[in-house]
Order: sequence, then C-alpha cells, then structure tokens
Amino acid sequence: MSTSPIEQKQPDVWIKTKDSELYINPLPVRIWHWLNALGFVVLILTGTHIRYANLFNLMSFETAIKTHNWVAFAVIANYFVWLGFYLFSDRITVYHPELNMRKFFDKAFKQMMYYGYGIFRGHKSPHKVVPYDKFNPMQSITYQIVMLLVVPVQFITGLMMWDVKRFEAPIAMLGGLNTVVTVHVLIYIFFVSFTMIHAYMGALGSTPATHFREMFTGYEEEH
Amino acid sequence: MVRSTSGGTGTVLPVLTVFICCCMLFSGALFALQKDESPTSASPVTESPVTEEPPAETAAAEQDAVSVVEEQVKDPAALKLEETLKKNSKCLKCHNRERSKLLEDGSELSLQVHKDGYLASAHGEVSCVSCHRAIGNRKHPSKSTNINITSEREYSVEMNGSCRKCHMQKYKQYKGSVHSALVAQGSEKAPVCTSCHNPHAPVSMVNYQAETGLPCKNCHENIFNAYSASVHGKARISGNTIRDSHIQAPICSDCHHSHEVTALAIGDVLRTTCIACHENVTLLHNQWLPNAGTHLDIVSCAVCHAPFAQRKFDLHLYDNVAKVPLTMQEGDAPIQEQLQAIADEGGTGDPLEIWKARGGFGKEGQPADISLRSRMEVMSGVAAHQIASKSFAVRTCESCHEPGWRQKQNVTVSITQSDGRTQSFEANREALSSVKAVESISDFYALGGNPSKFLDILLLLSLAAGIAVPIGHFTLGKMIKEYMARGEK
Repeated sequence: MSTSPIEQKQPDVWIKTKDSELYINPLPVRIWHWLNALGFVVLILTGTHIRYANLFNLMSFETAIKTHNWVAFAVIANYFVWLGFYLFSDRITVYHPELNMRKFFDKAFKQMMYYGYGIFRGHKSPHKVVPYDKFNPMQSITYQIVMLLVVPVQFITGLMMWDVKRFEAPIAMLGGLNTVVTVHVLIYIFFVSFTMIHAYMGALGSTPATHFREMFTGYEEEH
Repeated sequence: MVRSTSGGTGTVLPVLTVFICCCMLFSGALFALQKDESPTSASPVTESPVTEEPPAETAAAEQDAVSVVEEQVKDPAALKLEETLKKNSKCLKCHNRERSKLLEDGSELSLQVHKDGYLASAHGEVSCVSCHRAIGNRKHPSKSTNINITSEREYSVEMNGSCRKCHMQKYKQYKGSVHSALVAQGSEKAPVCTSCHNPHAPVSMVNYQAETGLPCKNCHENIFNAYSASVHGKARISGNTIRDSHIQAPICSDCHHSHEVTALAIGDVLRTTCIACHENVTLLHNQWLPNAGTHLDIVSCAVCHAPFAQRKFDLHLYDNVAKVPLTMQEGDAPIQEQLQAIADEGGTGDPLEIWKARGGFGKEGQPADISLRSRMEVMSGVAAHQIASKSFAVRTCESCHEPGWRQKQNVTVSITQSDGRTQSFEANREALSSVKAVESISDFYALGGNPSKFLDILLLLSLAAGIAVPIGHFTLGKMIKEYMARGEK
C-alpha cells in the first residue's frame, strides 16, 4: 500500500526526536490538551453548580462563580497555546480538511465501521496515525468545528457574561443577555456529553490506558 | 436832669462805638491768627481747591444724613408696611377670635388667625388681602354678600395659586411634582401648599424635624414609621452618627425633594439618589460582587439592604432607542388594558408580542424598538424605606441565585405614567419563565435561577448520551465478541 506525501513528511527539526515518526503529539499540544481537559472538567462542574445552585454542596455560589471565571480565563489563555502552535508550525496539516466529499464520506464510513465492528474484532484502524495526519476524518471534522467555532463562541459568550455591563453593546447586538446565556448553556450541554464520550473513546486503545499514555508522552505506541 | 440825661447819652454812644470797634478788631485779629495757625494754610497746596474739598464733603455728608433721616421718615415702603399692619390689625381684630364659616359640604372652616403667630411669622408683614383677594375692605363677605365655598379642600386648591406670587420658584418645583399631578387628577388627598405650610404661621424648614416626620407623616405614616426604624431614621434621630459628622442622615426631603416631590421607584432614580450620598458604592460592590455594575443596574438597593422586605420582578417597557424606561405621555391612549393583558397572558405568550398585538399605546409614532426590562424591586414603598445597617444586608448569592427562587417571586408589569408615578399590574409568575419571552425579555437573566425546562431536558439528554454511548458501545463490543466466539465454536 503506497503512502501519501503527507504520511511520509518528516517532522520539523525542533521537534525531531529519537523516533520522530511516532512522535504524534508535541509538547505544546500535550500541555494544551491536559490543561484544557482539567479546565473543562472544572468549568463543567462549576458551571453546573452555578446553573443548578445548591444541587451539590461542594462550594458556595460565590466560590463557584469566581472559580469559573478564573479557570475560564486560564482556558482562554491556553487556547492560544493551541492556536499559536498550529498557526506557527507546519503541524497545521493535521487539521487540513478533506475537500473531496466522496473521499471524506468513504473514509468516514470506514472509520464508523471500524468503531462499530472492526475494533471489537481486533482490526486495525483504517486511518494510519502519523505526525502530520494524526486525525481520522471524523476526528478532523469534529475537532475543527469544536476548536474553531464552538469553543470560541463559548469563550465570547462567557466573556460577555463575566462583565455584562462592559459588553453591553455587543450583547445587545447579539440579541440580548438571554440569547447570549442560552447559547453558552447550549454549548455547555454539548460539552457535557462530548467530554464523557471523548474520554471513553480515549480508552479504546489497545489497552484502556494506551491513548492516555500516548497523550502524556507524545509517542504513538505500537498497536 | 435833661442835661445830665443828654450828657449821659453823649458818653454812652462813644463808649459803645469804641467797644464795637474793639470787638471787631479783636475778632478780625483772632480770625487772622486762626488762619495763620492752620498748617495747611501755610502750604501752597492748601490753596488748591482739592484741599478745600474735605470740608466741603463733610458738609455734603452732613446734608445727606439730614436728608436720609428726612427720607426715612417719608419711606413709602415703611409707610406701606405701616399701612399694611394697620389694615391687617383691622382683619385680625375679628379673625383673632375663634370663628368659623359653614361650608356647602356641611363642614366648618375655621376663620381664626392667631394674631401673635401670624405677626411673628414670615408672613407677618404680608397684607391679608394680597392672598385673600376676593375679600377686600369693601367686599368683605357678610350675610348679604356671602362667598360660597364648597369645601375646605376646594378652597385650598383654589388658593394654591396665591403662593406663586412670592414663591414662584418653589411653586414651579411643586407643579412638576407627583403631588401636583395628583391634585390635577382630582385627588382629594394629594397635598397643596397649605397642606404642609400653615399660611398664617409658616415656619422655617429647619422646624421639619425627623423626629416628628411632619408634614410628610400626615399622609405617609406607614412609610415614615418604616423610615424611623431604618438605619437612616435611627441615625438622624440619634444625631447623625451614621457617617462623617458633616453628612446628615437623610430625611424625607433629602431623597424625595421638598417641593418637586418624586416617586423614586422609577428605573434609575432610586439608585442615583442613594449614590448621591454613598458615592463609593460601585467601588465597594466591585470588591466582592461579580458583575457589580449589572447588579446595581437591575437590582434596587433596598432588595439587599432591606433584608426582610418582600421582593418582586418588575417588567418595565423600555425604549431601546432613547435608552430610557418608556413613559406614558399626555394624550397617550390608556395602556392599562394592554398591561393587564401582559400580566394575564404573560405566562403563556410573549409579553411584548401581547403588548404589540393590543396596539401598544394605540398611537402612531410610538417608539419602534421596545423591550421589556426586568428589575428586582421591593414589593412596597414601606419596604423600600426599611433600610437596615450594612451588616444586615443580604450578602449570600444563593438568596437570589438558586433554582426555583425566581418562580417564587412576584412579578409585576409596570409603566411610568405622565405624572411620574409607576402603575403596576401583578402578572403571572410564569411570565419570566416562558420560552417565548426569551426575546422580549432579552436583557434579563439571573444565574442559577433560570428555570428553562427545555434546557434542563437537553442537559439530561446530553448527560444520558455521555453515559449511554460508552455503555452501549461497550455492550455492543461484548455482544459481537460473544457472538463471534460462539460462531467459532
């Protein structure tokens, strides 16, 4: 089976390692990912506490608000670690969309078949993970939508809610505070299931811990 | 005898002549000596006309003084005052005594004016007839020329204009007040000038003490009692120990003004009134309260600072173009019906749409961009005055931000009328929860208290998916493996 040019591409010198072909997740990506994961969990928990105050007696409403605000700013700052890395390194290719629709659906279907059947039969994933093409088509499209649309919208709506008076004009432009809040809550609802399913799929490696380990070390393990 | 007489006369005349001559010479010498002794006379400058002016001025001043004394005696104002007092004493001669007039409504109007009180007051020098124009010397009512007065109230309202002559500024302020507007609407209770100021013994403003609450207490007793027990009332009565000694704790007129009396429960007025004294309030709230600016905008001060007061959400029509609460103008069609419709149907429909469907004000040219703004207010004017000490103020966020709290609160729909008062209608409590109202109440949101069932269901579905997808996938895997294993056997 012939390999595409992107699969053959070697990593940049500055991230070249002893086994660069398996070095899938460079340090900035790993830092971003785990800080982001921690941030999301805290934001979801505090967000739930804010929305359904007194549902669980973990903290006071005031603490929940203040924690939510601080962690949100950290997550926003962290987002720029991710954005900066992909904008200023050639790893941006991992997010290049598959423009050929037929090819995309074909690959996506194969991937779905893999998750729905092949994975249980011990088949190999139809997508070969390489440094410059690490996402299967479903991951690629999902992460692009999440990182370039959903997450920024969540940041912007959250920022507006953080200081309603300061952002009075843009809030009015977007249809009022109620609309802004509703969008923020809808995205929060989406992230509740997204985070859980994402964590579960992370456990679908050759062992449940494989992908988690990979995300810590940066190296793809032999499957 | 004759000789001797003539001889006598003949000697007296020359002696007299010599004596007169001597006197003339002596006085001439004395004058010359005086002239020589004067220091200015020796100086050449003394000869100038300037040096001669002081004596001339002194003379003129003396003349003026004489003329002033003469003028004082003839001062028309003094004469007029004298005449006024003389005329007034004629009136007071009778009216100092207890007497009354039977009015058309059957009540009696006291005609007594206490002479001492009147003369000692600021009006003591004002002629009786300058206010009581209808009652001159020649037209004093008598049994044959009686003046018919329907009631004391009607007479007080009629006499209100008399004050304008001298107190134009205060009168103008009063005309812009809610009191005046109510009088114009035919209120039987709203105060006119004489309701607060006894025209025959007006007292200085300083005599309106917080301890008595007069004259406001006459009508607003409940509110004054609430004020008396408040941190403001207590501080005022106990000598302003509330803040710096130079800042007095407020009495009624400090917030409501004494003549341009306003109802403060309108939009921003109350907050700005509080901030006028508590100027660092934004800074202090910013130190701990998230979104402090918004809280100060939409939560009335008393909601937290009158901790035992009943609260409510007040939906107010807001003009987004002018950025002010919509106020009914003179000539607007009555809006009560429309507001009542919002109040009644608001729980199941979009309040703004209901309002529009009912024709808004029913008038062309009404502002096009209108929304409903919600503010947290206390339920009553009494509650608004029950301000407690800062240490008792509501500080826990959960007091408002908890699920279900919002649904328990009263909701009113209100409009500012042309007289400045707010008219409120009790609304369906579901008005704020309606999904249909998201757009029209677009600015309102309370964290933790948002009871959108639609979003709650979505969250539960999301949570269910987060659990079901992994379990389902895992189970599917198990089943496939078992099936395949069975097949292999």
